[in-house]
Amino acid sequence: MNNKPKIGVYVCHCGINIAKTVDVDAVAEFASHLPNVKVSREYSYMCSDPGQLLIKEDIKNEGLNRVVVASCSPRMHELTFRKTLAEAELNPYYLEMANIREQCSWVHEDREKATEKAKKLVAAAVYKARLLEPLQENEVGVEPATLIIGGGIAGIQAALDIANAGFKVYLVEKTPSVGGRMSQLDKTFPTLDCSACILTPKMVDVGSHPNIELLTYSEVEDISGYIGNFDIKVRKKARYVDMDKCTGCGICAEECRLTGRISSEYEVGMGNRAAIYLPFPQAVPAKYTIDPERCLFLTRGKCGKSPKCVDACAPGAIDFEQKDEIVEFKVGAIIVATGFDVFDASRKPEFGYNDYENVITSLELERLVAASGPTEGNIIIGKGRKGEKKKKKDRETFTPKEIAFISCVGSRDETVGNEYCSRVCCMYTAKLAHLLLEKIPDANVRVYYMDVRAFGKGFEEFYDRVRREGVRYIRGNPSEVFKRGDKLVIKAENTLTSTPIEDEVDLVVLAVGLEPRQDAREVIDLLRLSQSGDRFFMEAHPKLAPVDTATDGVFLAGCSQGPKDIPDTVAQAKGAASSALGPLSSGKVMIQAQIAHVDEATCRGCGFCVETCPYTAIELVTVNRVGHMVSVAKVNEALCKGCGACTAACLSGSIQQRSFMDEQILPQIAVLGGM
Amino acid sequence: MVDLEKLKSIAKETVSRDDVKYLIGWRQGTYGFRVSPHFVEKPEEAEELIFSPLCTNNLASYLVLPEKLPLPRGVEPDSRKVALMVKGCDSRAVVQQIVEQGIKRDEIIVIGCPCEGVIDLEKVEERFPNQLESVTAQWSNGKIIFHLPEGNEEIPKEEVLATKCLTCRYPNPVLSDLMLGDEVETWGDEKYEDVKELEAKDPQERWSFWEEAFSSCVRCYSCRNVCPMCYCEDCILDRLNPTWINRSNNASENTAFHLARAFHLAGRCIECGECERVCPAGIPLTKLNRKLSKVVQENYEYIPGIDPESKPFQSSYRPEDQEDFIL
Repeated sequence: MNNKPKIGVYVCHCGINIAKTVDVDAVAEFASHLPNVKVSREYSYMCSDPGQLLIKEDIKNEGLNRVVVASCSPRMHELTFRKTLAEAELNPYYLEMANIREQCSWVHEDREKATEKAKKLVAAAVYKARLLEPLQENEVGVEPATLIIGGGIAGIQAALDIANAGFKVYLVEKTPSVGGRMSQLDKTFPTLDCSACILTPKMVDVGSHPNIELLTYSEVEDISGYIGNFDIKVRKKARYVDMDKCTGCGICAEECRLTGRISSEYEVGMGNRAAIYLPFPQAVPAKYTIDPERCLFLTRGKCGKSPKCVDACAPGAIDFEQKDEIVEFKVGAIIVATGFDVFDASRKPEFGYNDYENVITSLELERLVAASGPTEGNIIIGKGRKGEKKKKKDRETFTPKEIAFISCVGSRDETVGNEYCSRVCCMYTAKLAHLLLEKIPDANVRVYYMDVRAFGKGFEEFYDRVRREGVRYIRGNPSEVFKRGDKLVIKAENTLTSTPIEDEVDLVVLAVGLEPRQDAREVIDLLRLSQSGDRFFMEAHPKLAPVDTATDGVFLAGCSQGPKDIPDTVAQAKGAASSALGPLSSGKVMIQAQIAHVDEATCRGCGFCVETCPYTAIELVTVNRVGHMVSVAKVNEALCKGCGACTAACLSGSIQQRSFMDEQILPQIAVLGGM
Repeated sequence: MVDLEKLKSIAKETVSRDDVKYLIGWRQGTYGFRVSPHFVEKPEEAEELIFSPLCTNNLASYLVLPEKLPLPRGVEPDSRKVALMVKGCDSRAVVQQIVEQGIKRDEIIVIGCPCEGVIDLEKVEERFPNQLESVTAQWSNGKIIFHLPEGNEEIPKEEVLATKCLTCRYPNPVLSDLMLGDEVETWGDEKYEDVKELEAKDPQERWSFWEEAFSSCVRCYSCRNVCPMCYCEDCILDRLNPTWINRSNNASENTAFHLARAFHLAGRCIECGECERVCPAGIPLTKLNRKLSKVVQENYEYIPGIDPESKPFQSSYRPEDQEDFIL
């Protein structure tokens, strides 16, 4: 420090937020007697322009070189006041904030004691301010490309937005086609647009856009680096089909010995496929893939005399020698759009999903209703038990007349660990009920519900319409579904009339909720994401940074962040895309100044900090210490977020965080401890 | 029964190697039941090596203590290996040093000495006071035979063993390159009885207990200096800026010193008991460290110094870790 500290203290009233429980005048007067304090003022709103002007003028006229603002949490206005200092040509890191709102006035009632506490907080800030050091922010360049993980509607939308803005996009999708969950839906609520009709044009766009490199049937293996400069490694799994040669004609699948014998993921078990398959007709890319776990040739090394697909394929696209391929590239931003899993209905055994064929999930009904589905949109169901093997001709089928929905299966249910509302089930239930009535006009459709949450645009109107069409809503959460003769019986209580019900139906549809993906852990490990209480990925701030994560340059879109419907997903995807475009188009990002640094002379190279760092920002390097090669910790300044975890782990205090060094914090603690 | 001839031949062979700097072992001291560390650089020096119930010192401390003096330009650092004799408890210190990257596995040769328990010098000196001549000892079927000038004395080992040995779970080295003799049968069971006894007291009683203990501390730092886990280049408790602990000797600063040390050892202390053994004021430091060992083991199922491949406790995290103590 080359100059003696001259501190200005500014105590904010925050209207009455602070002033009603803290005697602001008394705090300012107290602060004026603290060491090195040149001026001490109070003002109604320090963050306002006149408030900031006060600081700027004092810096100029009084020669202040440190500023203490006693107001709200630094999370609110630290950046505001740093800018104020910078505008007055003072290093912005000469600012210290005392939080006398969230940590004082808002949580206390006794004015006298709150004032005393505010004085202590201000004094602590002043003592720390005396020891502050100027810091410099560094600038790094940005790789003009984005990685998007997940090719559902969120990933597709974000990819298109970024690609249309002129930047390269790598869209990585685990399955053989983009499209995601939305491609499985028949109609969308509340407008009843055909899901495929509005989705497939976007899928085609993504497939043919010059700025988008589509990596389907691929998984991200490794991510390292930091905002602007992420190094990505993607595994392109072997499709055993030459993408350049395959024309998508589909003769191979017709010829495959296993045609119609493998349960289709896309049809959620309602339909079958071959070992070589296109997930669905409009798949993008329209290239076939061989399922390595089922293909006879790949699992047994033998498929008759020669594999039928090979014989059938005129262009000779089948290649059993194909190997997984690793693709490496650099991006400046990452969008996570990995989506969700539907709740596994067998976890609510009382509803008999595992036992009765005619207890199905809403997604299964979605495939039944869909014109492109296995029954071509006819609602035909079988009789019998799940898992019973029957030849197709022996299968007795019928059209159900009595149909019941059970809502909130796996949502708002602490017994399965999902306290949250899945946000889409009420409306898709109404939609499916409507579609069933359309297909089976004489059906009796009822919905067992807890509450109906029709909160979106046009939702309430649609819910009313469906009720007018004759769908009965019964308030009551069923306790059990069991079989009596040919019928399924729902046991429930109508909680509006307090009447017990035993309802005989043909078909029970479980409106299953949305859950974080089973493989979410892999993404968390790759990107060190946080999870919120509901296990979905956590955004940086629930209101003001809903698409950001704790890691700069990594954004969230769609249901990986929490259940949401298609419009919300698209909106968030657009938000994530525009957030990613910020650094991409400016071409540079500023990196944190308040980061960790290592005293190489005292570091013992134990690596506790390396293991502790949640951002992989620290590594051990070998340095020459007066002739001896010793290993010491080294901080990657672009990766460090200044969380301070390493400084807590270090036994010898050799790693310190700038602006939060031990020698700066200790006097602060001493003041708070009573001086 | 320890085969001293085998020990000597192993030692001679080891120090004759070109890539070995020296071997650290024990030799008989100059009086009474004392034993000294012995640095064997030449084969003939191996003749003095012993391994007996008197070998209390944990020699692992010497692995990390050597000061790295500045080298003149052009002089290569001595990168030869160090060979070290370890008991079971000592081997855990070596493992923990490897886990914390204080030493590298290929920098050392570990000579494992299965141990039937070492003596508590105070207990032995109380029984045989004022021994001016050097006394040797050996294990024999659950007893320890002391070769006193007036003749041999056989004592059941439970009567003279160090407290830590009575509940020892790891009498056999958990890591070794060479083993001196066969593994011994494990006898100990760790129930932390001493810690539980202290936990059962009310906070006021416990505070008085520690206040009295820490008041007698003379701040000689022997506990820290002997500890095989305390080897920072620059101990944070020595620093003046910031001053975590004042130099003055009083109950408050002494308490801060010992608590800081205990916390720095949480999940790292391998319970060799050296701190308590060397304490001139008789502060029951192992009780303090063992309390933290108990907490770490009960809450996080972590026992330090067992697996050289493991991650350090203080920087490892599992999603299922207890966190109910976080406010």
